[in-house]
Amino acid sequence: MTKAKRQLRFGAFFSVPGCHPTGWRHPDAVCETDLSMKLLADMARTAERGKLDCMFFQDSVAIPGSTAVYGGKVFREKNGRQAHIEPVSAIAALGAITSRIGLVSTCTTSYNEPYNVARRFLTIDHISGGRAGWNLVTSQAEDEAVNFGRDQHFEHGIRYDRAAEFHDVVVGLWDSWEDDAFLRDKASGQWFDYDKMHILNHHGKHFNVRGPLNVARSPQGRPVIAQAGSSDVGMELAARTADMVFTAQDVIKESRAFCDDMRGRLDKYGRGPEDIRIFPGIMPIVGRTETEAREKYEELRDLVDDGVGIAGVARLAGGVDIHSMDPDGPLPPLKPSNAARARQERIIAMGQRGMTIRQIGRVLAMSQSHRVLWGTPKSIADDLQAWLEAGACDGFNLLFQHYPKPLEEWVDLVIPELQRRGLFRTEYESTTFRGNLGVPIPKNRFAQNARSIQVPAAAASND
Amino acid sequence: MTKRRLRLGGFFSVPGNHLAGWRHPDAQPTYDMDFQGYAHITQVAEAAKFDCIFFQDTVGVSGSRQLARGERARSKLSRTVKLEPTATLAALAMVTERIGLVATATTTYNEPYNIARRFMSIDHISDGRAGWNLVTSQIEDESENFGFDQHMAHAERYERAEEFYEVVTGLWDSWEDDGLLRDKKSGVYMDRDKVHFLDHVGKHFKVKGPLNITRSRQGWPVIAQAGSSEAGRELAARTADVVFTAQTKIDEAKAFYADIKKRAAKYGRSPDDIKIMPGLTPVLGKTMDDAKANYEYLQSLMPDDVALLSLTHISGGLDLTKYPLDGPLPDLPPSNAAKARQALVVKTARDHNMTLRQIARHTAAGTGHRVIVGTAEYMADEMEKWLNEEAADGFNVVCNHYPKPFEDFCTEVVPLLQQRGVFRTEYGGKTLRENLGLKMPENRYTRARLKEAS
Repeated sequence: MTKAKRQLRFGAFFSVPGCHPTGWRHPDAVCETDLSMKLLADMARTAERGKLDCMFFQDSVAIPGSTAVYGGKVFREKNGRQAHIEPVSAIAALGAITSRIGLVSTCTTSYNEPYNVARRFLTIDHISGGRAGWNLVTSQAEDEAVNFGRDQHFEHGIRYDRAAEFHDVVVGLWDSWEDDAFLRDKASGQWFDYDKMHILNHHGKHFNVRGPLNVARSPQGRPVIAQAGSSDVGMELAARTADMVFTAQDVIKESRAFCDDMRGRLDKYGRGPEDIRIFPGIMPIVGRTETEAREKYEELRDLVDDGVGIAGVARLAGGVDIHSMDPDGPLPPLKPSNAARARQERIIAMGQRGMTIRQIGRVLAMSQSHRVLWGTPKSIADDLQAWLEAGACDGFNLLFQHYPKPLEEWVDLVIPELQRRGLFRTEYESTTFRGNLGVPIPKNRFAQNARSIQVPAAAASND
Repeated sequence: MTKRRLRLGGFFSVPGNHLAGWRHPDAQPTYDMDFQGYAHITQVAEAAKFDCIFFQDTVGVSGSRQLARGERARSKLSRTVKLEPTATLAALAMVTERIGLVATATTTYNEPYNIARRFMSIDHISDGRAGWNLVTSQIEDESENFGFDQHMAHAERYERAEEFYEVVTGLWDSWEDDGLLRDKKSGVYMDRDKVHFLDHVGKHFKVKGPLNITRSRQGWPVIAQAGSSEAGRELAARTADVVFTAQTKIDEAKAFYADIKKRAAKYGRSPDDIKIMPGLTPVLGKTMDDAKANYEYLQSLMPDDVALLSLTHISGGLDLTKYPLDGPLPDLPPSNAAKARQALVVKTARDHNMTLRQIARHTAAGTGHRVIVGTAEYMADEMEKWLNEEAADGFNVVCNHYPKPFEDFCTEVVPLLQQRGVFRTEYGGKTLRENLGLKMPENRYTRARLKEAS
């Protein structure tokens, strides 16, 4: 029997009204996608029609750039992303009107309590019948910190330390009840089996949480965990805990090295190479012809506001005053940033390739620093196929410059081309997100313990 | 003068408010975790033109301290797990069109920025139908899920709640109604003069803002409150649009009603600005005897040890299992938790000379809310009487199990109320505020700007 061909997976990245900060100005852009649940629901149906693995919502707990002084004033008034529906609520809502697509939302570990986060995501996992995912992040922007009583955000090391412990508390709470803990036996009056309830009693550096959680386990065991950290400490956390990794990669060889590095870290946590799915981000720009695609690309590139682009570089500059420098000059040496380390390394690499501050700014601004891929459905499929076959990805997170048309084009033009090549599913394999991603349902940690106690020692040794 | 009209809320205490209700042959005990069940009863409420549905909440398994100590008897208690209410509201908004969607969220173990954002998001998702029941956490077993050995003292909790309210409503006004320009031509998305920093610096919170979501079709979510203590009443009078309460006797309800409306006047609010809705648990029957038999049957499903557990939260830490079931309710140490609720239970027991067994069974049956046992006619009479005598503006209907008693209430009692002209036959408005007859809050910055201009 021939081995089933390896297939691509896709997440539709949602940063409404556009991942391109000024993409909302495009004539096709519908700006109201930021606050209209009806439009979000329509897009969820489109994505599900295209059999995409998931919708993946970005988040920040502030208006991005609200406290950054830019041009002598606060706010980045030209950016589209100013106000939007809180994404955890959005995926709860979408769970009620979709049936197969995974629903992932970002939620920070820096300004939440693990009990609350555990509860909300596991609830959404129930509402959706096992299709929830949590993108675990740490908050790295000052404009978020000041909404939570802090003058600055947490230092990188502390943030990750807290995130790791936060994760452990959340997944520990998710195992509070074994799958068959609830008897609901009307005749005996017994509601649950006391021995199948587990109290976490976590005592750690950042959290003390007793448990149990007041939500039962879900049809997929527990929500999928996604992570986007590509720094060394971020990769280590992902290797230990993530089912899905979102990463920014420009070059096939480097992405292959990233995948190998990530998979190489799994074994020490008792995980297999198929237990994690790696999704580089791309911003696709689809045309029916090469010329149409190039024109679209140029149109979108020209919408970039250089001020926004250069502010993006400044944010990653680790305190170096980029605004006072010649935008058409080279990127100066940077001090390590307390914000996004891996992203800073990428702009340093761009600078080494001879790009000016303005040019780097445009790349950052256009696609949130992800790879821009323009072409026909065929040329795009060729590119993605090459990445897949080189072991440089399991799939891609799709950053749309605006909504909803680029998503519709992806579903109507690119997906059929990939399906013809056998590179993408024509039907969902499962009703759960884990089932479609092909990652395992984690065993309840306490149930394993319980079983090992029940096996008599003599019988076990005879096996 | 127009006739007073009732407000109705569906207070969904799944899988049933009666602690043994889930054992009833008609009960669907999986309604605690099954979203389709939640969706069904919400749609039933909407078909009956209820103003809103409502979910109570605790951030912990009730009695987890006792569970951790090995009290296995608690594994007979049904309200153990459920869907988290705010996520549930967001989902229910997608399968309903007109009904209000209200849930509890505590001010004790949340951050105001997160709560402001979440409820305003639900208000957008539902297009103006969200409500927030602002509470303080009063149950000892919640605190240990948030790193505290015991919950905050009553006074501090209320002080935090008041400041929390100020921050949340302040954040809700971050955007004036025309703050989003979305002008493709000029390339300006937002009007920076119409977006405002709160810059709140207080005893409990320091929050800069602005909120990253605009106001909704109804301005802000409706604010509900349930505290009946002195501090709770004062906060409600100043800030609440709706008060959920638990009086069981008409005289007490009238006194409470008059007190809240009087306090509201002090803050420049009209009596119509606050709707008072006591809880009501219907036990219906074709005849009065039939209803009584239904109630007796339900009570027979409840073992004494389960009934006694319903008093744990108001016992002030006293172990009631050590007292004889046929003796009186012993004197209880003051409870830092539910002060008003404890007083209510003690008063009921003393007034009726109840034994420990009787008060436990009584409390377990309605967790303190009024149980009306009777025919649909009788129930409609009682509700109308409370309305006309200013003991209530409406009722929060909480059922012993789901979905049948709620379906029966909607098909048997609601039509009578409609025939009598005390309940709507169609929704009048699109938003929860419109349906409740509440004003839309003005944006404080717009108001200041207009005042300055005039």
